[in-house]
Amino acid sequence: MTEAQTTKSSTPVLVEARDLCRTFDEGRVEALRGVSFEIGEGEFVAVQGPSGSGKSTLLQLLGALDAPTSGELRFRGNRFNLLGDIAAFRARTVGFIFQSFHLLPTLSALENVQIPMFEMPWPASERRKRATALLEAVGLGDRLGHLPPKLSGGERQRVAIARALANEPAFLLADEPTGNLDSVSADRIMDLLVKIHAERGMTIVVVTHDATVARHAGRVLRMLDGRIVSQESAAPTAG
Amino acid sequence: MRFFTIICKNLLRRRTRSLLTIAGIAIGIGAVVALASLAWGFEASWVRTYTARGTDMIVTKVTSQSPIPAPFAEEREKDLRALPHVVQASGLLTDLISIEDAPTVLVFGWKGDAFLWEHLHLVSGRWPENDSEPVVVLGSVAADMLNKTIGSSVQIETGTFQVCGIFESSALAENGAVILRLPQMQRITEQDGKVNFINMKLAPGTTQQQIDELRRAIATRLTGFKAFTAGEIAQNNTGIQVAKAMSWATSGIALFVGAIGVMNTVLMSVFERMHEIGILLAIGWRRSRILRMILFESILLGVIGGIVGCAAGTVAVKLLENTPLLRGKIQGEFSVFLFALALAISIGLGALGGLYPAVRGSRMQPSEALRYE
Repeated sequence: MTEAQTTKSSTPVLVEARDLCRTFDEGRVEALRGVSFEIGEGEFVAVQGPSGSGKSTLLQLLGALDAPTSGELRFRGNRFNLLGDIAAFRARTVGFIFQSFHLLPTLSALENVQIPMFEMPWPASERRKRATALLEAVGLGDRLGHLPPKLSGGERQRVAIARALANEPAFLLADEPTGNLDSVSADRIMDLLVKIHAERGMTIVVVTHDATVARHAGRVLRMLDGRIVSQESAAPTAG
Repeated sequence: MRFFTIICKNLLRRRTRSLLTIAGIAIGIGAVVALASLAWGFEASWVRTYTARGTDMIVTKVTSQSPIPAPFAEEREKDLRALPHVVQASGLLTDLISIEDAPTVLVFGWKGDAFLWEHLHLVSGRWPENDSEPVVVLGSVAADMLNKTIGSSVQIETGTFQVCGIFESSALAENGAVILRLPQMQRITEQDGKVNFINMKLAPGTTQQQIDELRRAIATRLTGFKAFTAGEIAQNNTGIQVAKAMSWATSGIALFVGAIGVMNTVLMSVFERMHEIGILLAIGWRRSRILRMILFESILLGVIGGIVGCAAGTVAVKLLENTPLLRGKIQGEFSVFLFALALAISIGLGALGGLYPAVRGSRMQPSEALRYE
């Protein structure tokens, strides 16, 4: 099994990973066993693999939700652990989309989208204006005041996508974004991500075990047992 | 949406938990307000006892910290009358005596011409007419307690007396007391020619400086004696000191229990909310902002709990004051200071209860917190 060399020379590098390892339980569980790759600015990358292959752990390291046990991550050439303000990095640079949406149940769709904006120097009126525009962009202009329990799964994920875009991040990280949805809603979510990629030129990394989801990406990294086993460039879907 | 909106929505969503926390704090604060107001009321009622009598200064023989000072010769009265600013001086004999099957009652022996009688209000019957008559007058509460009316006979120590009058006083302590003429009191307590207090009335307009001079004069002329003002005697009264200490101790325990309760509730809610904290961390909220959110929530609970507790404590004391068993015996003393103190304590409790969970919640790795479901 050879470690896949994953480079893309045509665009500047956004994220660079060198020999990432992540163990849990004092080393008894090895989730990542030396993973190296690069992601270029504006790329749409899918990380595909069966459960337990380490893809979600990898995504959490990319989103600075967790730190690697060893190895190095660089963002635009700067090492992650030297980024200084890790909260600001999470708030301004990364937009995270989760499989189970992770919306705050007591807050309306509009309020959920505003939550990340508290880290930006925007007044309340500006937060509201931006959140409204984002929800309209994901097709939920008529659901602003709805609480998450009153929304369908697909609608909740669209709120979560609007929230991920709240602070205009450099890249979107999506962890099984269609995992809890029926096939029709799943297709619409993927179409929305493709549209965001095309319209905003935003870098997107999607983790999935589903080959149909991975088809939307420009490049697919395949993982097994904590290693990247292959990578292939697909024909660009859109944009 | 503002930061405060999120805090309010968080509290409203967990309605039951918020209400239970508020109830927990309110019980603790209510207990503090009730107990402290009763202890202060007890002290204030003693001060009123002396001020209502028109007494400006009380002279006793310095003894150990027993509630009832030792008796001394009643001639000392004359020495005091000779001092400047003293208008009147009247010796009296006081003791706590167990009467029939009632608990101990304050029994006063007053001279027939003492100025002390003037502030009492006769409800029924008459005042004692001379020193040899074996009669007593009862305060309204004492009459209730001993179950006596005009004409009943009362056994006090070795003497049998007839109730000739029932009175009311603005001083709580006197309403529960029995008063007889000084010679009768001296006879039954076997303290002939002795008193244990001298109450003095000073000339109107006597300044604090003159009072201090008078105090020094008494200390030098009458060795072993000490003069107190009404306020001081209440502060030095062992019974009052014990009551205050007891009430502070009980309040302390109530507060401790309240604090543990608040801490437990907030802590449980943080463990329940690990997932939510994980979301907030993942979308980039600073730890300080999460800390502030949890802390503000618990402080807000402290404020509401404190206000409810102040109201509950006040109502509880008012209800107690009006129960048949306690009517006329207790009186709460409420002040702005007491309520401010209670509120400060409850806000402090809220902050303290929220601090540990807030720090703990905000220190988690987002990936770890997100695993909580």
